[in-house]
Amino acid sequence: MNARRNIFTSDAFHGLVRNRVVIILAATLIIGATFVPGFLEFRTASLGLDRMATLGLVAIGLTVVLIAGQLDLSGGAILALSGIATIGLQAELGQIPAAFVGLGVGIAAGAINGFLVVVLRINSLVATLASMLFFRALAHLITESRPVSGIDPFFGLAVSRPIGGTFTGRTLIFFVLIILLHLWLTRSVAGRQLFAVGSNPASAEASGIRSRAYLFGAFVFSGTMAGVAGVIQSLSVNTGSPVFGENIVLIAIAAVVIGGTRLEGGRGSALGTLGGLLTIAALTTAMEYQSVPSYVQAIVTGVILLLLILLDRTVSGSQRRDVTLAALWRRARSSRSSRITERTLHHEK
Amino acid sequence: MTTPVPPPPGRTINRGLFSHYGARLGLPAGILVTLIAGALVSDRFLTVQNLTNVLINMSIIGIIVVGMTFVFVTRGLADLSVPATVAVGGLLVLGLESSIGTIPAAIVGVLAAAIAGGINGWLIGYAGLNPVITTLASGTIVLGIAQVFVGGVIVYGDNTEAQAFLTGRVFGVVPVIVLIFLAVVVIGHLVLSRSMLGRWSYAVGSNPSATGASAVPVKRVRAIAFLMTGTLSGFSGVLLGITLQTARPGIGTGYEFDAITAVVVGGVSLLGGSGTVLYAFGGLLFVQLLTNIMVLLGVPTEPQGLVKGALIVGAVAIDVALRRRGGRE
Amino acid sequence: MRNRISLVSSAAMVAAAGLVLSGCASAADDSNGDAAADGDISICYVTAAEAHPYVTPANEAFDEAAAEAGVTVTRLSQEFDVQTGTEQLNTCIGQSPDGIVLWPLDPQAYIPGLISAQDAGIPVVLINSPMDDEALEFVTSFTGPDTYNQGVIAADLLNDLLGAEGNVVIIAGQAGNGTTIGRTDGFTERLDELGSSIEVLQIVNADFDQQKALEASRDLITRFGDDLDAVYANDDTMARGFIDAWAESGRSLDDIPPIMGINGQQDAFESIKAGQFFATIVQSPREDGKLALNTIVSAARGEAVEARIPIPLTTVTIDNVDDVEPAL
Repeated sequence: MNARRNIFTSDAFHGLVRNRVVIILAATLIIGATFVPGFLEFRTASLGLDRMATLGLVAIGLTVVLIAGQLDLSGGAILALSGIATIGLQAELGQIPAAFVGLGVGIAAGAINGFLVVVLRINSLVATLASMLFFRALAHLITESRPVSGIDPFFGLAVSRPIGGTFTGRTLIFFVLIILLHLWLTRSVAGRQLFAVGSNPASAEASGIRSRAYLFGAFVFSGTMAGVAGVIQSLSVNTGSPVFGENIVLIAIAAVVIGGTRLEGGRGSALGTLGGLLTIAALTTAMEYQSVPSYVQAIVTGVILLLLILLDRTVSGSQRRDVTLAALWRRARSSRSSRITERTLHHEK
Repeated sequence: MTTPVPPPPGRTINRGLFSHYGARLGLPAGILVTLIAGALVSDRFLTVQNLTNVLINMSIIGIIVVGMTFVFVTRGLADLSVPATVAVGGLLVLGLESSIGTIPAAIVGVLAAAIAGGINGWLIGYAGLNPVITTLASGTIVLGIAQVFVGGVIVYGDNTEAQAFLTGRVFGVVPVIVLIFLAVVVIGHLVLSRSMLGRWSYAVGSNPSATGASAVPVKRVRAIAFLMTGTLSGFSGVLLGITLQTARPGIGTGYEFDAITAVVVGGVSLLGGSGTVLYAFGGLLFVQLLTNIMVLLGVPTEPQGLVKGALIVGAVAIDVALRRRGGRE
Repeated sequence: MRNRISLVSSAAMVAAAGLVLSGCASAADDSNGDAAADGDISICYVTAAEAHPYVTPANEAFDEAAAEAGVTVTRLSQEFDVQTGTEQLNTCIGQSPDGIVLWPLDPQAYIPGLISAQDAGIPVVLINSPMDDEALEFVTSFTGPDTYNQGVIAADLLNDLLGAEGNVVIIAGQAGNGTTIGRTDGFTERLDELGSSIEVLQIVNADFDQQKALEASRDLITRFGDDLDAVYANDDTMARGFIDAWAESGRSLDDIPPIMGINGQQDAFESIKAGQFFATIVQSPREDGKLALNTIVSAARGEAVEARIPIPLTTVTIDNVDDVEPAL
């Protein structure tokens, strides 16, 4: 087995990658502070975070789903549906009860996802793709593709206004929830069992953990969070629209993955997600300030994402992988040769 | 990779003729039922014009579906960079048309998309990255670069001859673009079912570790699936650009999910190792026919998703149930 | 040697983000570079999109007018996403600019943001698309075409052409968009007013996009075919999609039903001359952009501005197509 000694297999490098979230965040903040005057001021931070609050709520739900080794693409559609319920029912039920119905929509949608994946045994990528199409179509059907307006634009203003000169309402809600998630994941037995389920549901089942219940719960949680996001977001603009939330899921997944949670399941962290979200928030703020066109912003986000998962691969598993261009080339050439070499270099995950 | 749900304890295995053939007959039967239902619903349905229209609607997405089938079969999960490679094809063919001519511009467009697909393949097949997140990231990057290249605006073409050629008809009936689509389907099917690459693809998809111990080049096969999808998407983007004579960056939005829908409804498993290009073609045909019926019934575009979503769930649930009955897991 | 290769490759990747950022930062600085004339007025402009046949020239005219007036502009693009737009409005407010220009894609959703802007004492000008009346009390001015009136003009023209009876389909813009609502409601309500027997068979939304209009038109032609007596598209871009779909279906362009579009695009003019297009209404995006910028600069300087400033509209048919300039 050839273990090349170079920068990618050194301990320093691995330390770097393990703390990559902090490093990327620091780098982003430094770049932001260089190009944007007033970037490090509190007000900028507060606004940037407010911008990310809705995304962050969805990302909290996705963190749990990804740790459980699954995917949920339907968050955006659930957000739209919850928002429509929250605003559309205001006239009949009043604002607060309507908001609760919106929340209920999220919970119900999550339960449907759970049913599809756990009971019908449909792969979560396909199942949540189907439910995404279904919920989105439902939103359009109910509203005839037109946005619905609430009865009072001042009602929901509180969530997007700074409270006591600090963070906005929805930012605070987000912070509370993500810290609660972090505590649950790291301190509670159930949280740790979730990691086990995500790593290998069959063996978790064998050691007495009710994997199926955890997986179902993960989807209900994700749906609920999307519902919370939908309620808050629609109240903040006093509008429920069938086209809201269209791009939110993929960016949320990016934030969660930048934060270190892996799509394969079994590994992740709420604080990592927070770091990923802060990075995206800082990047967006800095780039928008400089009128950087949206497609360039997309390149930057994509490069960071790719860089991070590539680096992550170098520290994954028991074998330190060498991903220098030279090593990749060697691997490509050697795959043509005998099976002995193939078995030696083969490392499947 | 999304982990599968563990089986409930105490499951019994049931074999039978119905479970073995049921999966294979289901889709053709469904298509037949749809044709009958369509004829009953509207007298415009079974006209040559309408059915030709269905085929035209299928053509662009159909070329992409062929590539996506390979991705599924090799257990590559999904290629989410399709909107980007489609856009690259469309933007480049029209952007370079005036300087180097339509055919060379088309070749450049397809090549650029192929390079993107090749990078995907490299990262997923050789570096072992997760396909979902990798194609997501690479798609965003590639689309962004393509937009930088054309200056972030809509690109207009002025080659109406090429446009007329593609939308024109052979023998006055079959549109050229449909012929191209069918040719790609046939070639794709032959490659997957008859060639060495096809056999390797099935092997890689059904049992990667065992296959890795044999002489099959697992990583290369995985990589080729993504290279293929990127190239085919770029090709369909080129065709789309020429037919529209305008290309904007969002030109391919949603095509990845449409392709996945078709492949899944056709019975090709996400977990790899089974299914054929013809299955995927059948799935696409079924979805398009249903969509056509909904259009004739006056169902607005967006709510059609209700049926599509239900269709996916139905198709996969039946497939999963039949697999368990048939002893495959 | 291998270390050097790996160092170079990793350094290249990591530097990518930074380089792109700095490159764009300096590019942005250069493009807004001309020295500010009076006290460095800065404007935050939330536009509809970066790449669109109408919006792009409007943005360009906006930038040119800004350069002339010597003000700096920060431009954010909603990419036709309302949610993004509401968030960008908040971002704008946070930058404390001297003025904000907003392109509203929804008649109501931005109201809370507009309230915040008013509280912060920042003047706001709405460009191009109308919002509901209750929004107007929070903004300094609305500049742009009278979209309801455009619908009325279209109804009058088609009603005369078809002799007050026939089947029409409407290819509408983005659902929920103020322009869509104005142009569509203006049309349908005017037909009611005239007591016309024209029947609207179907209204489809094609998001002001040619490709989507093509796909929707295929369906319309499939469903109604030769029963169509006329087509009313909310803009010329979508009308083009219908023409493409018609040709694609194998039908002759001589048989195409009369099409009513809006915007006054170059290719619409050509089609009018060729007899495939009935009429369009010229609405200059450059006027749109320029007017909005000049209005916000006046407002930022503390001058009084009109609450509603329309841009001129010219109807174009085969009769005057040679005499009028296309808008874009």
